[in-house]
Amino acid sequence: MSTRKPSYANPKPCNHLSAYKLKYGSSGYKSLQKSLKSAPNGRTSVRIHETKIPRCSFCNGFEGRLYICLICSSVSCSNHAVLHTQLEIGHDLAVDVQRAELFCCACSDQVYDPDFDKSVMAKHMLDLPCSTNSADSIGERLCERKRLGGSGVVLSEFKKPEKSGFVRDHRAKSCYPLGLRGLNNLGNTCFMNSVLQALLHAPPLRNYFLSDRHSRRTCRKRTANRLCLPCELHGVYSAVYSGDWTPYSPAQLLYSWWQHSENLASYEQQDAHEFFISVLDGIHEKETKARNHTKDSGDCQCIAHRVFSGLLRSDVTCMTCGFTSTTYDPCLDISLNLDTSRCSWSDASNKPAKANGSSCSSTLLGCLDLFTKPEKLGSDQKLYCQNCQELRDSSKQMSIRKLPMVLCLHIKRFEHSLVRKMMRKIDSYLHFPFSLDMTPYLSSSIVRNRFGNRIFAFEGDESEMSTEFEIFAVVTHSGTLDSGHYVTYLRIQDQWYKCDNAWINEVDEGIVRASQCYMMFYVHKTLYYKANIDLRHLPVSTQKEAFQRMAGCC
Amino acid sequence: MRKSVNRPPTPDVAENQEKEPTLQELINIELIESGEKERLMELLRERLIECGWKDEMKALCRAFIKKKGRNNVTVDDLVHVMTPKGRASVPDSVKAELLQRIRTFLVSAAL
Repeated sequence: MSTRKPSYANPKPCNHLSAYKLKYGSSGYKSLQKSLKSAPNGRTSVRIHETKIPRCSFCNGFEGRLYICLICSSVSCSNHAVLHTQLEIGHDLAVDVQRAELFCCACSDQVYDPDFDKSVMAKHMLDLPCSTNSADSIGERLCERKRLGGSGVVLSEFKKPEKSGFVRDHRAKSCYPLGLRGLNNLGNTCFMNSVLQALLHAPPLRNYFLSDRHSRRTCRKRTANRLCLPCELHGVYSAVYSGDWTPYSPAQLLYSWWQHSENLASYEQQDAHEFFISVLDGIHEKETKARNHTKDSGDCQCIAHRVFSGLLRSDVTCMTCGFTSTTYDPCLDISLNLDTSRCSWSDASNKPAKANGSSCSSTLLGCLDLFTKPEKLGSDQKLYCQNCQELRDSSKQMSIRKLPMVLCLHIKRFEHSLVRKMMRKIDSYLHFPFSLDMTPYLSSSIVRNRFGNRIFAFEGDESEMSTEFEIFAVVTHSGTLDSGHYVTYLRIQDQWYKCDNAWINEVDEGIVRASQCYMMFYVHKTLYYKANIDLRHLPVSTQKEAFQRMAGCC
Repeated sequence: MRKSVNRPPTPDVAENQEKEPTLQELINIELIESGEKERLMELLRERLIECGWKDEMKALCRAFIKKKGRNNVTVDDLVHVMTPKGRASVPDSVKAELLQRIRTFLVSAAL
């Protein structure tokens, strides 16, 4: 584990632990190993005797916390652990019987030793049926995953400063930062405009298109009657960053998107999330070169997947034997269920108090907690356990194996109600942070938590990439399920802008917080700030002046 | 195992050992030996997380550690400060559910 993450840095051992280690090494841990027992849920405890329950050697009690001495393996309860240390000199270290965690009786505090945790985990791995990826298809994916490890190379491409930013500044007529340009509604296309505004300001994607990686002049994918979606996107990028601020009509793009997904080609209202997925798919289709043979998108080197693709890990654990089967799935975004559990609970308890409904607020972190929470699969959906060779109750837990460069979180506001046999929209408010740390939702953290407080390097500890994200765009939806309106809020240089089709306004962050967010776009913190530096080359004075003059322009 | 320890003379405990175990003790032993206690603990853990009790305790612990200073707090201190608060704030519904489970167990174990 790197020193970058203080939460996992090894705490300093106390004097007693150091002395114990000096004298005995880890032989005490080894002898304790055989009495460790692991439960299927991952918790480890010390089982001293098969049938007898442990009791304190002083008071004969068996309740409360019990500690077993590492030197003489006598058991004492938390009240008498100090007494034992005082009577037997040097018997300072003990192990919590129930949790199999190290405790220093002299300091009366928990202590941490990587060697101890290693021996616990080694025993744990032995006890439980090996949780390696056993299915054939998964083995294939595993190779893929290894190759994915080289994502650092991809990153470096985007670190090049965007030189064009310097020269262009004189063309920025508007008081607003470059790239803010309204998009005309072409007939119920606010779903497209809202997603486009977010895509236009995703730093890695913007850099890609503005640096002519895919340009109309060089593209050979275009044929007489079929347009190329990335080419049209390039067109939109050029138009939006040209410095012109009269609203732009992305008609060509709409047409080429219609060609790409014919089933959605109409003037009807569409789902913004659906559009987002289908545009990325369109880019992927055109950008994937013939030399790229991989079918699966997880390994794809096209710009859409390099920027948005992450890897989800799902663990299905048998509740009987603890066997875990792990699968990895690539994802372009993460769809989160609204964390409404607390609201519905309060509704049930006091129905008349409707005012309470507004006070209970779900948070994005709550949704992410819900997403990564182990979920017991119902008894009607038992899964076949490879170890027991039987259908068993199991639990499933999701976690994020690899974070994408741009994290798109999609809130499932559309709920299928079983009672009324119809879809409905959840209008509830969701609080979201502007800076988001994804560390608790990574596979390493999730798996680590499953085993208690252990300092242990789990297989495939990822995160050479940073886990801190900054928000840069929020797509919000107002209205009902069938008809509504999408508005995007963009965050540029810590200032929020509301993009409502052709109109762009400066707004307070309070307005953004109060909106009904539907999709949220987060980018790596490093990329977010870097993206802003590009736009900061304007001398401060002229920028200020421009603000005053043009404040009412939109 | 107890014999291997150099125990100080603790007379009242010695007396206790000769006594018959109380009903409470008997029940507890039965719970542990049957493995029901472990299941109950798992259930309790789940319920306490669901109702937000765990988050509440976490927040209290954080506040306490912040107040005392990061390096001046031991696990024992925390346990002593938190135990009364934690006991008091377990929702009644959780207690009732657990009690019901224990009752059912006792009937089935026919103690």
